[in-house]
Amino acid sequence: MNSKLAVAVAAFTLHLGATAHAAEVKIGITVPLTGFAAADGKSALEGAKLAVAHANAAGGINGQQIQLVTYDDQASPKEAAPAATKLIEKDKVIAGVGGSYSASARAAAPLFQAAKVPYVVAYSIHPDVTLAGNYVFRTATMGEVQGRAGAKLSSDLAKKRVVIITLKNDFGQALAAGYKDAAPKFGLEIIKEYEYSIQDRQFGALIAKVKSDNPELIYASGYYFTAGPLVNQLRAAGVTVPIIGQEGYDSEKFIEIAGAAAEGTLVTTSLDRDSASPVTAKFLKEFRAATGIGADMVAASTYTATSIVIEGLKQTGGKGGEALRKAIEIGGFNTPIGTITFNDLHEVKKDVQVQIVKDKAFRRHSVISDPVVLAPPTKAK
Amino acid sequence: MLFVELAAQGLVQGSIYALIALGLTLVYGLLRILHVAHAAFFTLGGYVGVLVANQTGSLAAAIFAAMMVAGVGGILAFRLCYQPILDQPPFVPLIASIGLYIAAEELFRIVFGAQGLTYRNEFLQGQVVLFDFLRFKHAEVVVMLGSAAIIGVLSLLQIRTRIGIACQATVSDPQMAESFGVSRRMVGDINFFVGSALAAFAGVMVSLLNNLVEPTMGSVPSYKALAIIVLGGLGSTRGALAASLVLGVVESFGTVYLGQLLDRNAIAFAFLIMILMWRPHGLFARR
Repeated sequence: MNSKLAVAVAAFTLHLGATAHAAEVKIGITVPLTGFAAADGKSALEGAKLAVAHANAAGGINGQQIQLVTYDDQASPKEAAPAATKLIEKDKVIAGVGGSYSASARAAAPLFQAAKVPYVVAYSIHPDVTLAGNYVFRTATMGEVQGRAGAKLSSDLAKKRVVIITLKNDFGQALAAGYKDAAPKFGLEIIKEYEYSIQDRQFGALIAKVKSDNPELIYASGYYFTAGPLVNQLRAAGVTVPIIGQEGYDSEKFIEIAGAAAEGTLVTTSLDRDSASPVTAKFLKEFRAATGIGADMVAASTYTATSIVIEGLKQTGGKGGEALRKAIEIGGFNTPIGTITFNDLHEVKKDVQVQIVKDKAFRRHSVISDPVVLAPPTKAK
Repeated sequence: MLFVELAAQGLVQGSIYALIALGLTLVYGLLRILHVAHAAFFTLGGYVGVLVANQTGSLAAAIFAAMMVAGVGGILAFRLCYQPILDQPPFVPLIASIGLYIAAEELFRIVFGAQGLTYRNEFLQGQVVLFDFLRFKHAEVVVMLGSAAIIGVLSLLQIRTRIGIACQATVSDPQMAESFGVSRRMVGDINFFVGSALAAFAGVMVSLLNNLVEPTMGSVPSYKALAIIVLGGLGSTRGALAASLVLGVVESFGTVYLGQLLDRNAIAFAFLIMILMWRPHGLFARR
């Protein structure tokens, strides 16, 4: 009996000790851990954890350890809003990281803005996100910008006649809008545009029609779980023209699903596997060591967003609010997806990486750095 | 050329729908339950198929295992989930069924991960080329011929064997059949086993065509198969088959010519509404 009591007392003391020691810096993140986007959410969370682990191993912020507070938002606004409120009100996080899709980020951004808690969105691409206000930042290249980069790439490949296959959601439609916007400038002729829903995995009818359109190039938006079957079925149907995809393709799972058909697929993305940057190389190596799988765009972007918050906090000496916002605004962060600086709307200014699938891996194809093509929207526009 | 290709793609899709809808219509005919969770056995088939195929390297073993596991799973669903609440109003088993489906989907995610699984070997990915414009993957040919063969054999069994006749008798008059010594429970077991095994076969075939098995792969079939059995006339096997093929073809042409206006699934349901306005009890309503 006595020994049990002793254990209980010891446990309680330990618990007290732990609480007393908890002078930690809290950073909040919402990620989709259940529901259709759970795979991306898991990848995003691993990226954020790695950034925090790096910082903590290097002594944290002013000697304080960083704690990552995580909530599942199911990539849904009705989960993301309460999660953001909990992070702000209950956990009193010093900054937020958006590790989820546009629908979530659009719901969470105004809440962070109202509370004056800086919020760095990793990979959601809807224009409304940064319009919430000056406490919101985005490390992802916006859909429209990526679409324009896709048009530039098409003209670099010297192709003219294009069929667009668009995923019918915020992501796909923003990409298509950007592509179509830039197409005339690059002399591209868009023969046809088709749309599909995120639940579609079988594209037989659509592909039969694409074949009869006889394009020189296909610009197809999607995520790895739609793009994998799509590219596989296009190649199986005998369509051999180049296919340009985007960040949504950027996962090893895409190559696994599409199989041999993935070879030669081009994607405009933010993570260059063959980058000469030591920061990128270190990230790629350590992500593989920590998780056993190769990093994808989602992991790299969320790592980046988290590490920008941490770097900002180091500069402010652990102060949040306006001081942190100003520190992030200064920019110049060296991250796995390049050197990052924000414009007045807090949209990122960085190059777009073109990767090509070669021998079952993403490899560097080219880099698009034309500042006119890649100019993100500003406050003026 | 395009016309033929679209029709062919429609038939492939229709065959998949037929395999799924058949189990649903069998269950409805017998128990008057809308068995939403049926789609979970489609997904289960996909998972068992991919796991066994990657372990053994044999597609035949994978299909067999998928059909057996899903078949037994179907019997369990019948005995544990539906049988205890059969005397309740119809919405009670319907809610149970929806709950079972959601639970199964999350269970697949927890057990097998959210990212989905792929085949390590290439099965049935070869091409059959007809008149140089019409190409089929072997898997597409197998799904069409397979569903035709399976459905043919089943309808023969239903007419020619004592068990088949007992099943038919139970559907048309359960009490009378029981008084002739037909066990309703046995008939239920058979219907659930056969229906779930067919859904599992469809699951393996779809997972081969997409090279992807994911927790949510049953979500579209779960409600589309309901639409199909309504379209065919609830409980009518012939109707469900006809409706599956018609819907496959309509969707195929619809995605190409109406895709800008309507989603593929929206096309299916718009078509359903139009048909029901014309024939309120479906294509092959039972008198």
